[in-house]
Amino acid sequence: MRLQRKGQEPEIPTASMADIAFLLIIFFMVTAVFSATKGLELKLPSDDEQENRQVEEEEAVFIHVYGDYLLVDCKPMEVSDILPYLEPKLVRDAQKHVILYTDSEAPYARMIEVYDELAKSKGTDLDPSEWPFEVKNISIPTQSEVQNFIEIFGVNPFETHCDGQ
Amino acid sequence: MKIVRQRKSEAIIPTASMADIAFLLIIFFMVTTVHDVDRTSVNLPAAFTRIENDKGSAMVVLSKQSDGEIIYKFSDGKETSTPVRGPGDISLEASRLTFNDKTKQFVIKADYDIRYEKIDEIMDNLRKAGATNLLLLTHAKEE
Repeated sequence: MRLQRKGQEPEIPTASMADIAFLLIIFFMVTAVFSATKGLELKLPSDDEQENRQVEEEEAVFIHVYGDYLLVDCKPMEVSDILPYLEPKLVRDAQKHVILYTDSEAPYARMIEVYDELAKSKGTDLDPSEWPFEVKNISIPTQSEVQNFIEIFGVNPFETHCDGQ
Repeated sequence: MKIVRQRKSEAIIPTASMADIAFLLIIFFMVTTVHDVDRTSVNLPAAFTRIENDKGSAMVVLSKQSDGEIIYKFSDGKETSTPVRGPGDISLEASRLTFNDKTKQFVIKADYDIRYEKIDEIMDNLRKAGATNLLLLTHAKEE
């Protein structure tokens, strides 16, 4: 009688798979980039809204950022004092406009700091606001809009606003 | 006396499941990897209240060089950002996008110490191009 030799079972060599897995992990760890995808939302006025944008001086709060200084309705103020100052005004009139004007020489971060302070009154889904009001209407006029105003009315609204105060 | 032969089996680490792990990792990274339209290194200003940008937002990049020069870049949100000459070119590119989509979001990614004049110029050009939805990119402010 002829004895049959036991044959070895065929198998796929998987020993190197661990090396592949770790190589992939290291590759993706090295190449992964954590990019910023969040920021402050800002609505620019469209040309259709131009006619309705004129706001009476007494109906708005003027915030003037120049360099490291800040004037709110012509009063020098710290950034942290803006919301307490706005509270009684915005509680009385929720639609009150806040006009944020930044000098061309001021650093961009300073404008963001003030704008962020105003946005705090709205809060976010994760961090609800602790203020009883919301700054809904924030206008950020550009230099060219101010120039247009000067050409039409002959005065700079941000210079004449504080005259006599 | 009968000698009992001991059959020694070799110690092995089971590696059969490693293939599954490798493919699981590949699929995970393929799904989670986001195509970044701009990789310019910029020192963003800090803010507390931050909102996630829309998917496929166009991007305007202002990066300040060591000599004070500002480099402008633009991306339509699909292609990687490319350098442009200045705000005039950005206005032109933006008007092409707003022609098709009035609500298109534009993200401004700029160094925190750039003079506001430069940002103002960009905002003015975007407004003239018909853009209304803007996002000023920031990093999270620590308490």
